Amino acid sequence: MQYTPLYEAYEQDGGKVVDFHGWGLPIQFRGILEEHRWVRQEAGIFDCSHMGEFLIHGAENIRAFSNLVVGDMVKLSVGRCRYTTLLSLSGGIIDDCVALKFSPEELFLVTNAGALDQVAGHLKRYVPEIENLSAAMAKIDVQGPLAPKVMLEAGFSGVDALSFWAGGRFTWDGVDVIVTRAGYTGELGYEIFVPDTAALRLWRVLRALPEVLPCGLGARDTLRTEMCYALSGQDVDEARTPLEAGLDRFIAWDTEFPGKSVMETQRESGDYQVLTPLRSVDKRAPRHGFELRHDGAVVGEVTSGTFGPSVGCGVGLGYIPAALARPGLQLEAGPRSLLVVVETAPLYKQATGRNRIEIGNLKA
Amino acid sequence: MNPDTLKYTEEHEWIVEQRGLYVIGITEYAAEELGEITFVELPEVGRRLERGEDAAVIESVKAASDVYAPVTGVVAEVNDILEMEPDLINRDPFGKGWILKLKDVSLEEYNDLMDSRSYRGYLKTVE
Repeated sequence: MQYTPLYEAYEQDGGKVVDFHGWGLPIQFRGILEEHRWVRQEAGIFDCSHMGEFLIHGAENIRAFSNLVVGDMVKLSVGRCRYTTLLSLSGGIIDDCVALKFSPEELFLVTNAGALDQVAGHLKRYVPEIENLSAAMAKIDVQGPLAPKVMLEAGFSGVDALSFWAGGRFTWDGVDVIVTRAGYTGELGYEIFVPDTAALRLWRVLRALPEVLPCGLGARDTLRTEMCYALSGQDVDEARTPLEAGLDRFIAWDTEFPGKSVMETQRESGDYQVLTPLRSVDKRAPRHGFELRHDGAVVGEVTSGTFGPSVGCGVGLGYIPAALARPGLQLEAGPRSLLVVVETAPLYKQATGRNRIEIGNLKA
Repeated sequence: MNPDTLKYTEEHEWIVEQRGLYVIGITEYAAEELGEITFVELPEVGRRLERGEDAAVIESVKAASDVYAPVTGVVAEVNDILEMEPDLINRDPFGKGWILKLKDVSLEEYNDLMDSRSYRGYLKTVE
């Protein structure tokens, strides 16, 4: 098992550690429900140091990278982040990732832990000038409506100027860090990339603030499911294209990408399964692996499902034929024929992620 | 309920005779493993359950889990407070978090169940 530099801080808050893709990470501290609600109302911190980070040097290499993903990384503006997916030759999703453009010559890339070796190998093969920073870089997410206040109190000056899905280089306590205004919860928040050597110090500074509660993978999962964000390796994998994953808006149809003809055929025929938000009619939750049935026939499968604390009912994601992905349509899920309704994303509609930051309020 | 005086199953249910009825719940270990409980589906009163049959469903944030009838019997009462406050099972698994009561149970099956000492020994093998 691998451990992050923050591992020794978990115990103080009662962190319950589980094996997540070979990493010992906290599933919860005080409790999933409390952590979930805290992130929706105040600010939670998450240890995401298991994730992968890369730096791509040179316009040619950024172009080479752009050819591997479904989005256009050449056109991405400086200072902006972009969600995209790394594709196999047939258009399947090897991993999803977030890119941040530092300059036309420099692109920062964040990937997941699950397929990191495969991703690193794939990138190295096609992008000659790429640095894998994962081994020495930690990541702490600060998520929740009070995140801007927390960041300022913790000593991150200037990050309040970041708009939704912007990012850049900052200095914190004499340490070079990267901050993006992004996250995996839907709430206003930041992702801080910090050298391993300074990570524990930063965690303790954040932890000491009264607005902050440490949060684990459990709350991360309920929060992201309410927002209908896919989990790489569980909701999306090499057997699925970005079109099937419901990621149409991230597909740069005007560029070339692996498996483009496969996705064009899918799009034209309409004959494909699409990852679809689902809500149950009571507190019972659809669960990973549940069969989905319509008019008695099996039409698909649930890939993620949990109780959604902020929506008060079961929430999930599942693959069903695109023709059936009509909001309001009722399906039966699992062995007990749980009634679920097809919805539009996000399932939780009051998230603060895109809110403007009112500087006046922060200093009060 | 005093955990020392209860009978136990390998599926981490407890059962005890109280004023002629047999009260059933899940153990602290089971509640802890499930995590925060969000929903409990209770059986109908009057339903006859065979030993090992699904008696209730407990859903937590993490998973859904069946509660099996530890012995054959007829449902006499259910703890319907759990429909409003399912996390009572987390807070007080051996007390206010009881799930159902059976009557007309098979005493032979009841006497066959583990006592608290055996259950503690069994827990050591699964932990």
